[in-house]
Amino acid sequence: MNKTLLGYVPDASFIYLVHPTIKVLFLLVVSLFPMFISAVEWNVGLMVGLMALTVASRVNMRTLKIYIPVAVSMGMIILLSYTVLGGRHPDYQVITRIFGFPLYWERIRDALVVYFRILPMILTMVFFLSTTREREIIAALRAVRTPFVVTYVLAMSMRAAGMVMEDFRIVRQAEQARGFDSKNKPLPYKIRKYVMYMVPLFALSLRRSEEFTNALVARGYSFRSKVKRPDYILSRYRFAWWDGALGVVIAALFALLLVARYRFGRFTVEDSVLLRYLHTILIPGGGA
Amino acid sequence: MANNGNGRSVWKVEEGERRSVGVIHIVITALLIGVGFVVGAFGSISFPLGFGVNFFWTGIVVQQVGPIWFGAWGVIAGTIFPFFSNAIAGTPFYVSLAYIPANFVQALLPAWAFKKFNCDPRMKSGKDYGVLLLAMVVSSAFGALYSPLVVLRGFGLLTTESLPLFIWGWFGGNVVAGLVFNFILLKALSGVVIKTPAFVKRWWS
Repeated sequence: MNKTLLGYVPDASFIYLVHPTIKVLFLLVVSLFPMFISAVEWNVGLMVGLMALTVASRVNMRTLKIYIPVAVSMGMIILLSYTVLGGRHPDYQVITRIFGFPLYWERIRDALVVYFRILPMILTMVFFLSTTREREIIAALRAVRTPFVVTYVLAMSMRAAGMVMEDFRIVRQAEQARGFDSKNKPLPYKIRKYVMYMVPLFALSLRRSEEFTNALVARGYSFRSKVKRPDYILSRYRFAWWDGALGVVIAALFALLLVARYRFGRFTVEDSVLLRYLHTILIPGGGA
Repeated sequence: MANNGNGRSVWKVEEGERRSVGVIHIVITALLIGVGFVVGAFGSISFPLGFGVNFFWTGIVVQQVGPIWFGAWGVIAGTIFPFFSNAIAGTPFYVSLAYIPANFVQALLPAWAFKKFNCDPRMKSGKDYGVLLLAMVVSSAFGALYSPLVVLRGFGLLTTESLPLFIWGWFGGNVVAGLVFNFILLKALSGVVIKTPAFVKRWWS
């Protein structure tokens, strides 16, 4: 198993055949797709594709459970934002009234468009985080000749995040051992007591910074050196022909999307079969 | 007056004192990004309002206390780490990227105010508390206006009518968390931090 930024992926996963640079390219370009797509069914299709890729990469789907409340709460906020907080619009089509408050078709439609635009963007990020290892990000950055100090800081940051999480667990256990337990306590109490984690966490980080520095200085590290460094990490990854092909496919799909959207007017709200169908259900006999 | 115990400002470089950028500053930047990543993600996952806006964003402590202690290194960390903590909490890549100016101002302003008005990070006088509070409010107000009005509206994620919810959500989430943590952390740890070589008197060293 390989530890990724968000979980574990087996060694045998096909995702490790892909060069890290292509993974980063995938994140950067595919995240843009939903911004140019308003037709809900296409964004749903993109989500299905991303989920299929995640499953095919043998990602442990249980680690992704934390995103369910995020997706639900985001959906609720968007729905509230577009309906209850959406104001009154006499020119809009009323679906029904709840406690005298009109529920407009245009607002529901816009909420669905926005929600199904944001979900694939999140899924792209989750797919990337679930399948990418720390060192792959470093390899991708080095492959595009990012300065050594930037990649080094990033690598240290990712390591530091792991250490901080471990420190956080230790501090929490130490406080529980002294009888402090925030379980079943009200939120204000938990927030107040959270300070008790923060101070030791910062103090530990300060101590670690000195340990880190001493270790680096003892090994003769210098961030100002002009000496060309051997990129060992890059020797671990080979840019194969299929990486080039994947890069071309991703770029071509994006170009096609832009042409379809701006040359032929596709992927728009008016172009959405699903929204048209929903409209006929919610407002029978109503104009589009 | 912010002084080091001898009646001198903690920000003043003493005669004969040599201060330069060192490995420790690079390390502290990385560690602050790491701490912010964890602490910020906790706030983003626990109290979400949506699109990386939270009711109680614990990351603000790293974003504002870090730059006061470590100058530009803290500002760099405070600008970068929310990008990662938001990402892990499910904020789309380009939305996180677009928040960078807001995070930069939120990180920069308290540090700038402390240096400009010669405040003591050990919070020894009413002026120190007042300046920090004002800097927190002003910087969070900028973030709260910029992010929903420019970023979320720019991406077409919000209606005009729902903007106040996100503006107040961002502002309140930052200021309340800042009130809970910033003062205590500065009071508890500044005495130790200013004695370490990592403490930054000017902007870089």
